[in-house]
Amino acid sequence: MGGHQVDSWFMQEVLPLESALTRFLQRHWRQSADIADLRQETYARAYEAALRERPERIKPFLFQIARNLMIDRVRRQSVVSLETMADFDWLNVCDDGPSLERSIAARQQLRLLQQALDELPPRCRQVVVMRKIEGLSQKEVAARMGIAVETVENQVAKGMRLLAQAMHGRRAMVTSQARRFNIFRKLRDVR
Amino acid sequence: MSADHTEQSAADWLAREDRGLAPDEQAAMQAWLAESTLNRVAYLRLKDAWNRADRLAALKPGMKPMPEQASRHGWRLLAAALVVMAAGSAAAYYMLGRQSPVQTYVTERGGTRQVQLADGSRMQLNTDTRLRAEVTGTSRTVTLVSGEAYFDVVHDESRPFVVYAGNRRITDIGTRFSVYRNGDDVRVTVEEGRVRVDDLDARQPRPSVLVTGGYAMIAHRTEMLVAARSPQGISSDLSWRNGLLVFNQQSLAEVAEQFNRYNRRRLVVEGRARKIRIGGSFKADNIDGFTALLHQGFGLTVSKRGNDIVVSR
Repeated sequence: MGGHQVDSWFMQEVLPLESALTRFLQRHWRQSADIADLRQETYARAYEAALRERPERIKPFLFQIARNLMIDRVRRQSVVSLETMADFDWLNVCDDGPSLERSIAARQQLRLLQQALDELPPRCRQVVVMRKIEGLSQKEVAARMGIAVETVENQVAKGMRLLAQAMHGRRAMVTSQARRFNIFRKLRDVR
Repeated sequence: MSADHTEQSAADWLAREDRGLAPDEQAAMQAWLAESTLNRVAYLRLKDAWNRADRLAALKPGMKPMPEQASRHGWRLLAAALVVMAAGSAAAYYMLGRQSPVQTYVTERGGTRQVQLADGSRMQLNTDTRLRAEVTGTSRTVTLVSGEAYFDVVHDESRPFVVYAGNRRITDIGTRFSVYRNGDDVRVTVEEGRVRVDDLDARQPRPSVLVTGGYAMIAHRTEMLVAARSPQGISSDLSWRNGLLVFNQQSLAEVAEQFNRYNRRRLVVEGRARKIRIGGSFKADNIDGFTALLHQGFGLTVSKRGNDIVVSR
């Protein structure tokens, strides 16, 4: 695959799995400070692998990379401390279930976006509203708000980071609630 | 380079792109992207979110508002839930009124069970546990026949809450605690409040032992040892309530013993491997994951022998 093809493959096929990947990492890696690093490195390895050959099934492919990454990290530690990992079912698990994330309807996505927007800090939110809803350019936003273009630029940078985080975070929350419900049912079945 | 730092650089580039890049900036950004795949994926991730935010334009005044059905539906569900809860507690009340005062509760291996007693106190039974509970107008008595249970006791001075485990008697003084009985060995972990432990077998009367929140008592034969537990220690003693086993540098022999309380297949550790110390938290029922770790992480040999899983060095 050429570079541009891989870019769009990455955005369309890999990024929708972010909340599942994050949960996978969180479930198996105790130190929450490492999660963003692990996720980014998983993405980078996936991207590079796709430059050579495009994988058939994305989710098992991605989780396999994440799993290898975690194993590598553990092996690199001089003292094997199991404290770093939350649980070990990932050693032989292969999560190949249907992806809930992919099937989130467009309307629901808009609702998630709207919630993410509502949670932005006030000034940041105002900039994003003008830029994305009213369709003004950064320069026009600056003029309207009476602030410097650099300030608008900074708020845009901040806004996109928070939006990306909030959208994936919320999706993760919705699905983890579903999971908790399943666990509850399992517990009940045991009795 | 941390993910956070990379993400901030990516956001800065995208914000500049959003404003419009000069040719030299364009070249600098391409160079930054080519520098590392980590940069590129961080950039693509934020670009995707920012592009998707274009959909917000659908919220422009004059566009159709979001449907409000969800919240009205929610109220209806809540109302229905309240009705069900009311009916449920009425039924429970009716049943409790008719119950004989002695009840036996049992869990199978790998099972767990929550019970609310007639006085409002709650018990959670761990795997492979059998206990009898008797609540009357004047007394509250639980006999832990085997296994482990956690108690969250409603304080009632006129009716002390007493747990018998082997030859020990644990009397609650308003508290949350758990009791584990393995033959005549008894362990009491007190999360909050205070309990009194008496040795019922003592030839001559011995003073009671008081155990307060943050302490654990371990009884073996005639000895009783009370030790302070760190908050992590307390929570790992009680981690079974969430289906987890938590170990802190315990020997593999001890760890196997704990796993075996929960699973039908037995974990047998042989030879020098018994002395390996490990820490970590594991799902009590994930014996396969655990042995796979022993194999991959520690290079131990794992083999099957009938219904046993044998681990050796």
